[in-house]
Amino acid sequence: MKKRLKLTDISREEDSQLTEIVPDDLIPLPAPYDKPGWPADFQQLTADQQQRLVCNLDGFVALGLPRPRNEAEEKKYTELFISGMNKLLSRENNWTFLQPLLLSLDYCARCQTCNDACHVYVASGKNDLYRPTYRSEIFRNLVSRHARRRGKLRGIFGGKNVDLNWSTISRLYELSYRCNLCRRCAQACPMGVDNGLITREIRKLFSQELGWAPQELHEKGTVLQLKVGSPTGMSPDVLRDNVAFLDDDFSTSIGFNVSTPWDKEGADVLLIHSAGDILSFPESPAAFSILCQAAGIDWTLSSEIGGYDGVNYGLFYDDIQLARIAVRHAETARKLNVNKIVMGECGHQHKALMTVADRVLTGDLNIPRESAMTFLEDIVFSGKINFDPSKNDFPVTLHDPCNIVRNLGIVGPQRRILRYLCPQFREMMPHGVDNYCCGGGGGFSVMSGVNFTNWKVNIAGRMKFKQVLEAFSDRPGPEVKKYVCAPCLNCKLQFRDMFSYYRAGEKSGIKCGGLAELIVNAMADIKQAFISWEE
Amino acid sequence: MISGIFWPVFVFSAIALFVIGTAYRVLSLSRQPVHLRWELSPIPHVKGRGSYGGSDFEEFEWWKGPRRRSLLAPLAYMAVEIFLLRSVFKNNKRLWPFSLGMHLGVYLIILTAPLYVAVAIILAGGMPSSDTNSLREVTYVLGVTGYLLGISGVLGLLVLRSVVNDLRSFTSASGYFNLAFLGAVFLSGINACLSLPDFTGTVGQYAKDLITLDPTISIPFLLSLHVIISILFLIYLPWTNMSHFIAKYFTYHSVRWNDAPRDAKMDTELRRLMGRPVSWSAGHVQADGDRSWIEIATEKATDEKTP
Repeated sequence: MKKRLKLTDISREEDSQLTEIVPDDLIPLPAPYDKPGWPADFQQLTADQQQRLVCNLDGFVALGLPRPRNEAEEKKYTELFISGMNKLLSRENNWTFLQPLLLSLDYCARCQTCNDACHVYVASGKNDLYRPTYRSEIFRNLVSRHARRRGKLRGIFGGKNVDLNWSTISRLYELSYRCNLCRRCAQACPMGVDNGLITREIRKLFSQELGWAPQELHEKGTVLQLKVGSPTGMSPDVLRDNVAFLDDDFSTSIGFNVSTPWDKEGADVLLIHSAGDILSFPESPAAFSILCQAAGIDWTLSSEIGGYDGVNYGLFYDDIQLARIAVRHAETARKLNVNKIVMGECGHQHKALMTVADRVLTGDLNIPRESAMTFLEDIVFSGKINFDPSKNDFPVTLHDPCNIVRNLGIVGPQRRILRYLCPQFREMMPHGVDNYCCGGGGGFSVMSGVNFTNWKVNIAGRMKFKQVLEAFSDRPGPEVKKYVCAPCLNCKLQFRDMFSYYRAGEKSGIKCGGLAELIVNAMADIKQAFISWEE
Repeated sequence: MISGIFWPVFVFSAIALFVIGTAYRVLSLSRQPVHLRWELSPIPHVKGRGSYGGSDFEEFEWWKGPRRRSLLAPLAYMAVEIFLLRSVFKNNKRLWPFSLGMHLGVYLIILTAPLYVAVAIILAGGMPSSDTNSLREVTYVLGVTGYLLGISGVLGLLVLRSVVNDLRSFTSASGYFNLAFLGAVFLSGINACLSLPDFTGTVGQYAKDLITLDPTISIPFLLSLHVIISILFLIYLPWTNMSHFIAKYFTYHSVRWNDAPRDAKMDTELRRLMGRPVSWSAGHVQADGDRSWIEIATEKATDEKTP
């Protein structure tokens, strides 16, 4: 029987983990992924890792927080945590999200209506630790006691008193990276309370006050992007070489002469891909180049630092980094004097640049920003390209990236394309704005610290993997090739990890790719298949 | 038995305190600084698209087209949310019947208030009590239904919160107290309603005496008890998270559905906010308490090691 967790357990001073994830507790997957004992037990932490790192949560470690050297260091971080809570409640330091935060802190009815909306909580077999309300309620309690200084009586009357100590903050830090920030729970809340926002604010407090953030998002993420141009580490020269290579390669393989324009001043469109696509899913940027060229679009890529990678990991943990990167994107477009910026197939890029940064990009930085979904839809239905949908006559389903669909309301364009070009298109259930996150949201798709990948594929992504299998339940075998269209780099990275872990290609014939690839694959003028089914 | 000038002073002071408390809540929420956009679909005011969660961004070159807005769709959405508790029904069926009962109870009792005022006005105008019979019958049915629904809802919620682990571990002492307090309003109401021979007539007469500031005002003990409990609840309400009826406007209109583009007024406010000093401590922020948010956000990055 699972042990029930109390809110006050978070501050238990002993160094033991709060809960244990047992494979048998997880929601079952359809055949052939339902065999007992498969996949094997989770990757256990080594003795060395347990000695060096803080691992007091659930047996998984995403962040690799070193153990404090002494009590003075513990005290220093605890005090910083308190000052961080105060700054989160101040207009000067947190005007960016103060009103949404206060609303979410003050008006939760503790009805738990949001719990079953969370794919992590449900997939884990309803482990208390992963309730959307668990971390929020702890944080609410800490804010009430330490930042608002409410009296002791009111503290007792108003809720369980959670002690603030090193165990509390180190566990809360790790726990803030057990939520995909997909906001499905917020959608379910009758009050409009947003546990996803509270989680992000907790991450922000750790980053902006304590200087704690996952290496993949901060040091190797936003810092590298601002310095070199991309978290991939690609400098402008390397980028141009890579894209030139892709142009040559695809020109040869599909018999269509591809040529990507660079830094063209006054172009109608500045297309900003996620640079990770160039390395991990090169067919995606190649497909965009082919489509733009075939449709006669006046477009360009930028090779300026800040202009060629659309990712913005600041969205996941840090307002300052978010703003710095968004400003760089907009400055690049302003210098090139383009009419609009078009997002690549990247969900969080869409959300960061199209809406969240909208109130940061004032004056002449406010350059119109278009979604890849509407951009592609316009190309497909413009009549400038001939299509042969029979080339896509295989089962296709669509994953809705949370940041494009639930958070931005772009639901229809991608569906109209797929219904037109993919005769065997079918929806997952649920879909659209009610979709489930792929499990890679909130920065997880690029985080693989210690044994975190194991958690991502087994718990965070489990609901989505189940949905995919159910969408293809009429053609389950590997002999029928099936395509999960995920128009988002981070989602594709998560699918790639999941499909690799579950051997979904080999067992079920499933592969994942973007939307532009399906469009190019259906082009009548390209004789060679664009989509490759090889692993 | 309490009588005389106490009643108008007590009741009107309490109403004033409720209005002040509510206004304080509204002002404290509405005076928060403009925040970054954080909308969440579905946004029902997006005409033609809101029903499935679509937004203006579904339009090619969306900034060129008109922003078509529906006035009715958000009202219809909120009506279903407020009166039928759509989100609770969809996501928490175990809680829904009791929560719905409690809320409908509150709505019906609120609905009886203007009806009693109408009775009072008729009586104050010198019309005979018999002229208010129909109105009082309707009020009586609404009141009894409201009290009974409210009691069943509150009892159900108290039991669920005490018995079900998921709810119990998140329910504070104030959570139980709030429910019990509201339950006392309903319970004292039904008690007075069923015990007094002419409940609605007595309340109507009482309301008339209140609005005419009659110094000889006097009511039976059971009604006094109900009025005092209800009035105390009214004073208490704005200072608790039961005032979510206020917050809900802001969580939906100011956050979830706030897709407003910037205008000159907002730009002025944003410039003011971005010009204020920031004091975050982490090294990469490079704040010193003097440098402004905009200075920090537009500068080049520095190397920063994560722990």
